Amino acid sequence: MVSWHTKRSQTIRTQVNTDLSQLAQVLAWFNQIDHAAVPRFIWLQCELALAEGFTNAVRHAHHNLPVETPIEIELTLYDQAIELRIWDYGAGFDLEKSLQALPWPNELEAGGRGLKIIAQTADVFHYIPVEQQRNCLLMIKTYGR
Amino acid sequence: MHSNIKVIQPSGILDSTQTHELRRCITEAVEHGATLILVDLKQVTFMDSSGLGALVTALKAVRAAGGQLCVCSINEQVKILFELTSMDRVFDIFPDCEAFLDQCRRTESDFEEPVYSHV
Repeated sequence: MVSWHTKRSQTIRTQVNTDLSQLAQVLAWFNQIDHAAVPRFIWLQCELALAEGFTNAVRHAHHNLPVETPIEIELTLYDQAIELRIWDYGAGFDLEKSLQALPWPNELEAGGRGLKIIAQTADVFHYIPVEQQRNCLLMIKTYGR
Repeated sequence: MHSNIKVIQPSGILDSTQTHELRRCITEAVEHGATLILVDLKQVTFMDSSGLGALVTALKAVRAAGGQLCVCSINEQVKILFELTSMDRVFDIFPDCEAFLDQCRRTESDFEEPVYSHV
């Protein structure tokens, strides 16, 4: 059995400020990687999950931190999986607990859909404390050929 | 000339940096008596949950004023967002602006050409 991570992969990284207006730049960065092999539907779902992860870091994790506080993002494209990591300097929270506690927001609620969108898209979704007092949001989406 | 039909055309990325302007435009339309409001998303390249949240807020406000808010021309990405959040079951989604206006012509006895606004 050959697992997807033994295959060829490509990785790109970027760092942006705590600034919602950087979303266009983040999306452009994401789309520059050669993703011709990824089904378009999967790619668009991951692009949306990235936007939700980034804006979540700005609006929640970094809500009381200066604009210069960096948010680092890494994208690795494997043969049959997309792996996305987002590091922030926020206080952190228990993702599993939050997801369990939050039902889909009432149909006509204005907010609260970001994390649920990532959870629905990703096959693996974690948010864990890591080195340098940071948190890492990890999402993996696998796809068939 | 005052039409009760208003077409609002945002463009580019519809995220939290654009939502204020969109909401302002919709509120203004309601205050000017618009009862049929179409948010034409043809020029929107990307929408996130904040953009969707603004549309949901607007939908509530328009309904509360006795009007209807519809959307049209959603691209593949926006369709994914609507489906992931089940908002495709909440919003009336038209293929394009013409399809919306065709319905207005059929249902509105005093149909007048809509007022267009770019956001």
